[in-house]
Amino acid sequence: MSVIRSIGAGIGGTFRKRRLLLYLWAVNVVFALAVAAAPLVLIQKELGHSLLGSSIGVFDIPWLGEMVLKYQEALPALAAGLAVPALLFILLYVFLNGGILGRLLDREGPVTLAAFLSDCGRYAGRFFRLFLMSLVFYAVLFGGLLSLVSAGLKPWLEGARTEWPLLILSNLRFLVGLLLLSIVHMVFDYARIVIVADEERRAFRALRLALGFLKKRFFRAWALYLLIFLAFLAGTALDLVVSGRLAGPSTLAVILGLVWAQVMVVFQIWSKALYFSAQSEFYRMHPY
Amino acid sequence: MNKPIGSVRPSAILIPLIFLLCAPGRGQEQPPDPAQAPVLRYEIWADLDEVNKTLRGREDIVWTNRSAEPVGDMVFHLYWNAFKNEASTFLREARAETLWSRGAAPRDGEWGWIDVTSVRLADGPDLTPTMEFLSPDEPANPDDRTVMRVVFPEPVQPGDTVRLHLEFHSKIPRTVARSGYYRNSFFIAQWFPKPGVYEEGRGWNAHEYHQNSEFFADFADFVVHLTVPRDFVVGSSGKQTGIRVDEERGKTTYTCRQSMIHDFAWTAGDRYIKVERDFVADEEVTAEEYERTAELLGLPLEEVKLPNVRMILLFAPEHRKQIDRHFRALRAAIKYYGLWYGPYPYETVTMVDPPFRTGSGGMEYPTLFTAGTRVLPSRDVLSPEGVIVHEYGHAYWYGLVATNEFEEPWLDEGFTTYSTGRVLAVAYGPGAQPVSYNRIPLNSIFRMPKLFDFELNRAAAINIARFDPVTAWSWKFYNTASYGANVYMRAATLLETLERLLGEPTWARIMRTYHMRYRYKHPTTADFIAVVNELAGTDMTWYFEELLFATHDFDYGIASVSSLEKPRRLRGVFDVDGKKEEMTSKRIEALESEAAADPDGPAPKEYITTVVLRRFGEARVRGDARVEVLVRFKDGSTETRFWDGQDRWARLEFVKPVQVDWARVDPQGVWLIDANLANNSRGVDGLRKNVVRLMIRFFYNVQCVLQSLSAWS
Repeated sequence: MSVIRSIGAGIGGTFRKRRLLLYLWAVNVVFALAVAAAPLVLIQKELGHSLLGSSIGVFDIPWLGEMVLKYQEALPALAAGLAVPALLFILLYVFLNGGILGRLLDREGPVTLAAFLSDCGRYAGRFFRLFLMSLVFYAVLFGGLLSLVSAGLKPWLEGARTEWPLLILSNLRFLVGLLLLSIVHMVFDYARIVIVADEERRAFRALRLALGFLKKRFFRAWALYLLIFLAFLAGTALDLVVSGRLAGPSTLAVILGLVWAQVMVVFQIWSKALYFSAQSEFYRMHPY
Repeated sequence: MNKPIGSVRPSAILIPLIFLLCAPGRGQEQPPDPAQAPVLRYEIWADLDEVNKTLRGREDIVWTNRSAEPVGDMVFHLYWNAFKNEASTFLREARAETLWSRGAAPRDGEWGWIDVTSVRLADGPDLTPTMEFLSPDEPANPDDRTVMRVVFPEPVQPGDTVRLHLEFHSKIPRTVARSGYYRNSFFIAQWFPKPGVYEEGRGWNAHEYHQNSEFFADFADFVVHLTVPRDFVVGSSGKQTGIRVDEERGKTTYTCRQSMIHDFAWTAGDRYIKVERDFVADEEVTAEEYERTAELLGLPLEEVKLPNVRMILLFAPEHRKQIDRHFRALRAAIKYYGLWYGPYPYETVTMVDPPFRTGSGGMEYPTLFTAGTRVLPSRDVLSPEGVIVHEYGHAYWYGLVATNEFEEPWLDEGFTTYSTGRVLAVAYGPGAQPVSYNRIPLNSIFRMPKLFDFELNRAAAINIARFDPVTAWSWKFYNTASYGANVYMRAATLLETLERLLGEPTWARIMRTYHMRYRYKHPTTADFIAVVNELAGTDMTWYFEELLFATHDFDYGIASVSSLEKPRRLRGVFDVDGKKEEMTSKRIEALESEAAADPDGPAPKEYITTVVLRRFGEARVRGDARVEVLVRFKDGSTETRFWDGQDRWARLEFVKPVQVDWARVDPQGVWLIDANLANNSRGVDGLRKNVVRLMIRFFYNVQCVLQSLSAWS
């Protein structure tokens, strides 16, 4: 029951601190504009005056073929232009995570930009060290554990008489990878919560404490994590249904499409906040 | 027990016989015209050792010298030696491949090869001591063992026949380039010593086995005896005409025969299930379709009638639910290729769902082809339909027209890819693009656009023109990607463009004539161009020079469109009645005011519309062809102009009482090969709603990607 109560309290927390979503949405929009500006200009330049622009689909392979031909020299630069902002965005969120958790855990405190940024700054160093530690975990996960899983499955895969074992085992491996990844994410979420909730000064000790906390109630904590993930998947599925219905050519459909897209971005940001909020509640409910 | 024939009433035999004679028969082999009788006859005995993965074979060859010159030797392909070691031309090229390789080298212990242990003339002399390996291609590779030559004691005189007896022993590779085995499933292709094609004045045409090459051989009559374990199911080229069981050895020998084919492939395995159905022409083709085809082609109705064909499917048990999909696609292919190009001339076609991990999918052989599917296919995606229609289609180009795939691969792959697109479009419409993860189709979750093959082909075609001409020899392309995209997609796109340029009736007759005229022959690109010129009624050689033999982009477009109000009066000094008179701005204003005050109102405004056309690519239209330009004005009126397209740009001007709305080159969409369709049109208004929607979606996707990255922080 503590899992459900944590999620309920977490949802309440995110609604109370909804201004946080506004800040994070603004960050997302600004960053996305920086990344997408050049491609958007390109789309406008290539299609804005062309009659093709009236009928082209979202994923138009023939037109993409034309663009590859026309801009093939620029493709490496474009790829770098996407990879660098991606890395920067991750680092930016290492910084922002402190503000999100700081404001969520300060139950009565206001969500002002100053307080938010103050929390971002307060925890930035420790969160960055945690981020570096998480890279080691990812390396172990992808380089070690999943290789072991693959090695374990190899005899079945190599001796397969039909495609079925490949299909089943490769998806099993994917599922195992996904679950292990969720555990790594969860461990580091709790390490961040320990830092903020207990004002833990040392990142490594926070990680150790988080592991100790999870050791005692691993499955409940994991169930909580996976339930939120399922909610996120449900939202994504809803997006697939709704956005398909907003593909019409009318002005209203274009406006609704824009609004819906931003609603979904806010939903994704809210999911992230909900992870922190619900897990913080769970942590609070189980002092040790 | 069968009744002896003497106990049956004569009518019981006669009536079915009359029916049989009247009913449309299965594809009958064409009566061998003496001039077209095959150059070769083979009888081959092959014994499969499924434990050691070897083949032991004997081969009798009868070859007739149809040239006007004496021939002193014979050159054979020994394709499996390409998989013998890394010194072969095939594996050297695979290693050097920069992008991706069609033939990765076998792993240790999995090499394959063929040893010819004896070559004799049927009347005695042993030619084995004269055996030598050749390296006919550049750069020379003396280590290659895929081309072998023997020397006759006496040259074979024109019109004479030589009979040879060969013995060979092969190690079956663990699947390279669609030949090989996995567990107890075998796909055996390019497996027997096969003579090259003798060309008068040029000698034997027999190239090494290259990474990007397929094959070339002469038409022949085949009789092949295949001995395999008793529990194996066998599929092969031709028709199975005999089965003999050897209880003692636990083996069965299948005898297969086929006339007028140029290769023979077979497969055997213990997991196959065999299903046979008939293509019944009268059920598949309506009278109206026959009439329409006959009219289109300008042929008598009888000439477009199709024969029945026995369809044989060998499939893996896990694909049982896809049997109907396979047969439906094959029926569509038999119908449309038959109607368009000519009736299928053989009695059978064998479709093989390739055994798991034999890597033998998607390949053509005479009267047999391999398809390929997944245990979880997607309903919206035309797979396996696409590969079935494609591989069956090779029967018409590689199989019957039999061009040289080493030297002119586009004549097979390009024609087949083009034809595949046409059949799929007519039989199925556009297909959804596949999206899957870990072999699980996701098309029901993600709505992918449905596209015709010609659209996909074009996307690849426009990106590859600068690398190689379509007509390059198969192993002389820049890399495998250039080979594939040029020979398949660009060639198909050029044929589709030519069809649009010449119009359906002319094009249909060109394709039919080319196919039927060169059935059982080995035509070249020049022969095809000659047929085009003959039936198009105009010299189209320029089209091939600009687009097939050259490496030019074709791209005409609109650079700018604008309308400016035409001034009623111009400023400056004018000669009026022998005097110099200046028209000043002030005077113009005064005259305009006067005109406005006129009870009839001012003269209507006029606009000068300027459309600037550009030739962005190197390729140019020539001959009778012109670049069509359609200009639409705000009142809905249109004007059409034609540009010869020779210069880099041209300016068109129109004076009309309305402003321009948009201009478009190639409004009929003839030039599919155009590298940029977006610049083919230009309107005066700015952002379109649909473009805004596209930009919103793109921006949203960027936002989502960024947000998902935050999980890694």
